[in-house]
Amino acid sequence: MNTILKVTGLHAGYGAGDILKGVDVELARGSILTVIGPNGSGKSTLVKTLAGLLPARQGSIELEERPLNALDAPQRVLAGMAYVPQEYNVFRNLTVLENLKIAREFMGAGRGEKRALDPELEELFPELPKHYRIAAGNLSGGQRQMLAFACALAVRPKVLILDEPSAGLSPILMTEVFNKVARVNKIGVSVLMVEQNAIDALRISHSCIVLAGGRVRACAPADDVLGMKDLNSLYLGNVANHF
Amino acid sequence: MLQTTFNGVVTGVIMTLPALAITLLFGVLKFPNFAVGAMMTVAAYLAFALNAQLGWPLLAATAAAALAMGALCIGIDHLTFKPLRERGPITLMVASLGLGLILENIARFAYGNSARSFDIELARPFRFADVRMNHEQMITIAVSAAAMLAMWLLLTRMAMGRAMRAVADNPSLALVRGIESPRVIRWTWFIAGVLLAVGGVLIGMDRALEPPMGSNYLISVFAAAILGGLGSPLGAFAGALVIGVVSELSTLAVAPNYRIGVPLLAIAVILVFRPQGLFGQPYIRK
Repeated sequence: MNTILKVTGLHAGYGAGDILKGVDVELARGSILTVIGPNGSGKSTLVKTLAGLLPARQGSIELEERPLNALDAPQRVLAGMAYVPQEYNVFRNLTVLENLKIAREFMGAGRGEKRALDPELEELFPELPKHYRIAAGNLSGGQRQMLAFACALAVRPKVLILDEPSAGLSPILMTEVFNKVARVNKIGVSVLMVEQNAIDALRISHSCIVLAGGRVRACAPADDVLGMKDLNSLYLGNVANHF
Repeated sequence: MLQTTFNGVVTGVIMTLPALAITLLFGVLKFPNFAVGAMMTVAAYLAFALNAQLGWPLLAATAAAALAMGALCIGIDHLTFKPLRERGPITLMVASLGLGLILENIARFAYGNSARSFDIELARPFRFADVRMNHEQMITIAVSAAAMLAMWLLLTRMAMGRAMRAVADNPSLALVRGIESPRVIRWTWFIAGVLLAVGGVLIGMDRALEPPMGSNYLISVFAAAILGGLGSPLGAFAGALVIGVVSELSTLAVAPNYRIGVPLLAIAVILVFRPQGLFGQPYIRK
């Protein structure tokens, strides 16, 4: 397996205790990896630590064998790792166009570029140009999610980290979001996604990790996990009967 | 009535620049900086030293004082606020109160308590539609309008201005969009310093230079920023004009000594009925 992102023995948390207690993750180049697990299992802590918003207390994070631990969040974006938070993932008081511009301005990407979206992204998000002058806070939930994806992809990341991209969306919009994630992956971006909606997420994923109590309880191909009868129990972290 | 309204507009226009500085600093750093009054005083005395003591034209003296104040604000942040940043807005606010006292007393130590004025030529006031306007008032309106236009261009057309708005909107998202907060914070302090310096010189032209000159405006300027909505540059402008005009018009009904009650009343009313101000966004804890 050609690994693009390798996490080894990761410990992180808030306050005195660790929430992540030695997490190992390997994301294969060009694949989608979904992290599932019960509430409080450390899923959001994992992605925040990968993005550089929370310091790793122990363990290592490597992107294409380059250690990222010492890099802050902006430097990790520059290194090729983009992150879309679950909520508040666009600048609500800036227009759609300003959100797209600012996504590239500080990365040295697209300097002198007149177009806010390059052709590939314009094809991926054809609806965004219609809303360029609207404040991002006035977009619908689905439109906001598309804008957040487009901003994260504007810097041409190698790895895209998504924190519950379908949270708060209607079933139709949820399907649209997962289709978009699959298309993003097809243009060559590896994706690590935390998701509550396990079944829909696993349908587009290549592999899956079950996180519970801050530890990786299981790691398997997504198709194998989807084929399991008692997926809900697995989702809650009960892996004993499955692996 | 017309004359009083015009005087109120000028008072409001004078307050737009410090109100804008407060709102920029609050937007990016999330604390109310009560040292802005004393910062204006120090900048005005810097301009005074260059203008009245070294003989520079006031325009050049103001430009030099503005640049110096911008740089000084970056230094002040580095020494005073940066080490306290993680301790939250209340600590930063208290630090700004202490800093204000220190700065004001440095000005007092250097120039004493007596009132001074810039070395500018006196010009005969002129009349327009029964309103008497003097030279300094016209300069105040022109300079403030130019500064507001420059700020609008900065915040909407330039990458650093957009970054400042982005950090004010959502600091942690700004980080994962690759925006380095320390750089944005330095620019915010520099721009606030420039605005405060120009504001200080305008107050000095309107009244006189004395150590409490900046802190005398503090309540009105905060009322303007809160009325407009802390963090909203357009709100700072509108709030300053409203507070200025209403304060002046209030002297038609009550003794001028009670004029200070208007901004205090405005703060109380806004906080009860529309805490986010006229143009501000409701505060959402992230």
